[in-house]
Amino acid sequence: MAVPLLAAENLHVSFPASHGQRVTAVEEVSLSVSEGETLGIVGESGCGKTTVARCLVGLLQPGSGTVSLRGEPLRPRRTREQRRAVQLVFQDPYSSLNPRLSVRSVLEELLVFHGLARGDALEPRCRELMALVGLPEDALDGYPSSFSGGQRQRIAIARALAVEPQVVVADEPISSLDVSVQAAILSLFADLRDRLGIAMVLISHNLAVVRHICDRAAVMYLGRVVEIGDREQIFADPRHPYTRALLAAAPRLRPGSDSVAARLRGEPPSMTARPTGCAFHPRCPRAEPICAAQLPELLPAPAGSSRLAACHFRDEKG
Amino acid sequence: MSTAVLQVRDLTVSVGRGDRRLVAVRDVSLEVAAGGSLGVVGESGSGKSLTLRALMGLLPPGVRVDSGTVELAGEQLPFAGAAARRSRRGRLAMVFQDPLSGLDPVYTVGAQVAEVPRRVLGASASASRLRAVELLRMVGMPDPEQRAHAFPHQLSGGMRQRVLIAMALASEPKVLLCDEPTTALDVTVQAQVLELLGDLRRRLGVAVVFVSHDLAVVRQVADELAVMYTGRVIETGPTKEVLERPAHPYTLGLLEAVVDLDDMGQPPRTIPGALPDLAHVPGGCPFHPRCRFASPDCALSDPGFRYVGDGDAERGTACKYPERVMAG
Repeated sequence: MAVPLLAAENLHVSFPASHGQRVTAVEEVSLSVSEGETLGIVGESGCGKTTVARCLVGLLQPGSGTVSLRGEPLRPRRTREQRRAVQLVFQDPYSSLNPRLSVRSVLEELLVFHGLARGDALEPRCRELMALVGLPEDALDGYPSSFSGGQRQRIAIARALAVEPQVVVADEPISSLDVSVQAAILSLFADLRDRLGIAMVLISHNLAVVRHICDRAAVMYLGRVVEIGDREQIFADPRHPYTRALLAAAPRLRPGSDSVAARLRGEPPSMTARPTGCAFHPRCPRAEPICAAQLPELLPAPAGSSRLAACHFRDEKG
Repeated sequence: MSTAVLQVRDLTVSVGRGDRRLVAVRDVSLEVAAGGSLGVVGESGSGKSLTLRALMGLLPPGVRVDSGTVELAGEQLPFAGAAARRSRRGRLAMVFQDPLSGLDPVYTVGAQVAEVPRRVLGASASASRLRAVELLRMVGMPDPEQRAHAFPHQLSGGMRQRVLIAMALASEPKVLLCDEPTTALDVTVQAQVLELLGDLRRRLGVAVVFVSHDLAVVRQVADELAVMYTGRVIETGPTKEVLERPAHPYTLGLLEAVVDLDDMGQPPRTIPGALPDLAHVPGGCPFHPRCRFASPDCALSDPGFRYVGDGDAERGTACKYPERVMAG
């Protein structure tokens, strides 16, 4: 198998909690993205998806496990080249842009720092970046406060693209935007992937978003990947009951596609009180005694498939 | 309709002071049948939340009602001061988006729910405590006797939202106003809360006004729909008909822009342009610069509000050319 572009291997992350204890936020997470591929990570709040994103870009050091770029493990202190290769787009374009810097100064600083352009070459490159994200050239002179949410997110994307990254990690890039703007930013991502061949990791709680632009998807629950595989395998034939429940709970526009069959009881438990065995068993409609006793491994479902599911009953169809 | 429990006529709300006053809600008319449900949908700045706050008499400082009336069961409600609160008490109640900021962290949730029957309905302290437990049970709180002693921080987001719904219902209102009550919740929990709202409406006969930016969510709770844009209601009608065959280009645009889980064939389509801010709302039809059906005269005069015949369904649109939109 080819070496993946960016890979996380067996990540564990825990945070200090009260009384000297630690809360495990991410456990045994392994995932990877190949060149030009888009991986979606879905899950509800507290499932660890943002923590994984922060590990991938190096904002957070996992307690154990490695993140590697083209097969080379990344050290806690990444080189400038390595940082350039993996860029992050944040959820909230209101807090992720410095209000006192014009768009031009943000971009120029990056280009100069990474030695990508200087002097007379700066201006054309800045204009090119504006065109790439669909903003007019005069936006370069603006400050974040003069832009709408959608425009700010375009600026944040331009900032990520300025350094010619190999992977863009986007953490809920459209969830703070209005509905009519979401579609535009989403198609910008799809367009950039197609034109520039950039690999992407897209973190979202919205299944529809992942289904629309990702090649592969990983579903997380309480810090673990419970299902991972090709998009259509996940959406058309989910093998983990939690994936099925997420699909059933997603609000839809068309009547007839509502399903009440798999509606979940209860809410995700907190990280501090992780259920034994499969963490999903207290809410699972399919649970049996074995689920409380034994943690299911992430294994191919069906056997031989590239899709993995962490369920004792992964061979059953939904 | 004579059965309307809540009727809003030509409500206009403005923000700011002096020459810089901006109209945030313009000539909004809405009605909710007794025991019915109305969804109000719009993007940020559409005036949906301000409309709801005006109904509740909870407008922030600097925001005032310029004209229009709100009638609850035939009685006109004042908008400000003690009279506004008194006239709504026990008849209108509201559930807010953020369940944590609506609860007091230093009192148990049981005490907070019990306060409502005691203060509003004049029940005794012990009867109020029993009623609080009963209300918590009604909103699907597991183990309500125990949970009544919990403090807000000990409950999850979905449970807190249930507590707020219990508090709102404690005054036995005729109409429950909900401002994006599920936006802060996870999808699996959102599904539970939506189901609860529908269930309460059927069991208690309480009418529900549900404000949201999410058409797919509103579809699950509201029989009737009102779509807002730049402070105006631009389309009304039965939810099913409006979503199947919108009569205003903005509604159509919103529907096309939604990233839908089922519709994999078509990529979501963007509405060109951007939401205008209140200081620069275009003249004529406010949507015309972004509208693919627009004629030159759309920029010249306000389209007004007209009724479009669609069988028995009573539908309205603020578009001069609904037939173009409805033809697709």
